[in-house]
Amino acid sequence: MTEALFILVVVIVTALAFDFTNGFHDTGNAMATSIATGALRPRVAVGLSAVLNLVGAFLSIEVALTVSNKVVSIQSGDGTPIESLMGIPILTIVFAGLVGGILWNLTTWLLGLPSSSSHALFGGLIGSAIAALGLGGVKWDGVITSIIIPAVAAPVVAGFVAGFGTWAVYQIVARVPQARRDKGFRWGQIGSASLVSLAHGTNDAQKTMGVITLSLIAYGSWTDTEAIPFWVKASCAVAIAAGTYVGGWRVIRTLGKGLVEIQSPQGMAAETASAAIILSSSHLGMALSTTQVATGSILGSGVGKQGALVRWGVAGRMAVAWVTTLPAAGAVGALCWFVAQSIGGAIGVALVFAFLVAISTWMFLYSRKTPINPGNVNADWRGGLAPVDETDAVEPVAVGAQPERS
Amino acid sequence: MEILTNAFGALWQVAAAGLLLGAGLPILFALGVRSLDRNRVGIPVVMAPEGTVPAGEPTRTEASQASVSGKAGAALCFGLCVIASLFGIVVIVFGKQMFG
Repeated sequence: MTEALFILVVVIVTALAFDFTNGFHDTGNAMATSIATGALRPRVAVGLSAVLNLVGAFLSIEVALTVSNKVVSIQSGDGTPIESLMGIPILTIVFAGLVGGILWNLTTWLLGLPSSSSHALFGGLIGSAIAALGLGGVKWDGVITSIIIPAVAAPVVAGFVAGFGTWAVYQIVARVPQARRDKGFRWGQIGSASLVSLAHGTNDAQKTMGVITLSLIAYGSWTDTEAIPFWVKASCAVAIAAGTYVGGWRVIRTLGKGLVEIQSPQGMAAETASAAIILSSSHLGMALSTTQVATGSILGSGVGKQGALVRWGVAGRMAVAWVTTLPAAGAVGALCWFVAQSIGGAIGVALVFAFLVAISTWMFLYSRKTPINPGNVNADWRGGLAPVDETDAVEPVAVGAQPERS
Repeated sequence: MEILTNAFGALWQVAAAGLLLGAGLPILFALGVRSLDRNRVGIPVVMAPEGTVPAGEPTRTEASQASVSGKAGAALCFGLCVIASLFGIVVIVFGKQMFG
């Protein structure tokens, strides 16, 4: 195996790993509200979302090869790597960027904070591009228009739409008895959440497909910029679906229980607002982050309902995570590039990969200390992500993990 | 400066489309839910206490059934929601071809 081929294989594995984290980090965007209101049992919800992500990924017919072009200068206009970076140099930049994206996704997942996977990927790529090419390697105009402005706008627009929708819905159904009202809206919730899942599969899997295809072109085993190999499409679809099915329960819990005490009509208003805004924004040339739209919508559904409990402290923690995404993922991306580059070649890349595996394993083991799973994802929110345990002596009235609804 | 103007131009369109569909569909759905509940007919199993139900309205009980007109109105509302969702799927799949 040549050095370049080894690096290519590592990049592909890392890209699929990123796709997987993208799946489980974002399950909550679509399904958190349905799980919280009991419209769907937790396992059923993530299963449905996984299938729709899989279908969505296969439905994607656009070739997102130029996805990095918005923020960094490592590709020419048609998507091929720029001449001077052909081969190992661009593979190393992409690899370091992916590692930055994955580690940020895992960190925010551990903290139970929803944050944009796309922004994490862009952040990682920006960091590794700065490390490799200097500040000139970054398109700062693009950073402003496709990351910073959308990040500020998404929660505001989504919150406004979902808030208005929620308010109007409660006005209309004010005299319908709650049992019948909630029964009806649960169906609406399931439908709207499904649409968000489908759109997620199409939009997000495409990015990883683009990254892998770019790497294949850089290596020299693919030349077509208008198509992607079928195995790339299939493996990305499976990776994002598998990630979704694993279900990022920590993020689901924060979105469904932590942010707002949510009821079915709010859930439906929030998910419909998310679906409408995600779809319209990506077709009006301003791609808003699914995560930021979904979070804004859920917040809005809390503001729009009179007397609903909105935990602004939780929202504030998310805002901090969003502001930190770009620099944090960028710093890791840059560091990984320096390490890989200074050691050099296959060994450098292998070492960074080993570092990624080690940190990821540690984070997974650390998360086992306060496990969040389908059994306790809906437990009452008491000041933090970790559900209060029956054995907790501090709480006079112990509220244990609620059993999974049947 | 130009990039900001462009960005906010697109943002208004997103907000408008979002408001029309993102708030419009839940409103439509809510009208459907209310329609199902309007003029319910059936045998009252438990009479509601005096004053809890406005005069002239049938007493609502678990045994009641949606009226035919209520069902028709609900079917119309829910049907429109389904059509809008199917349109959403078309946009997901063919959006880039449709809108450039």
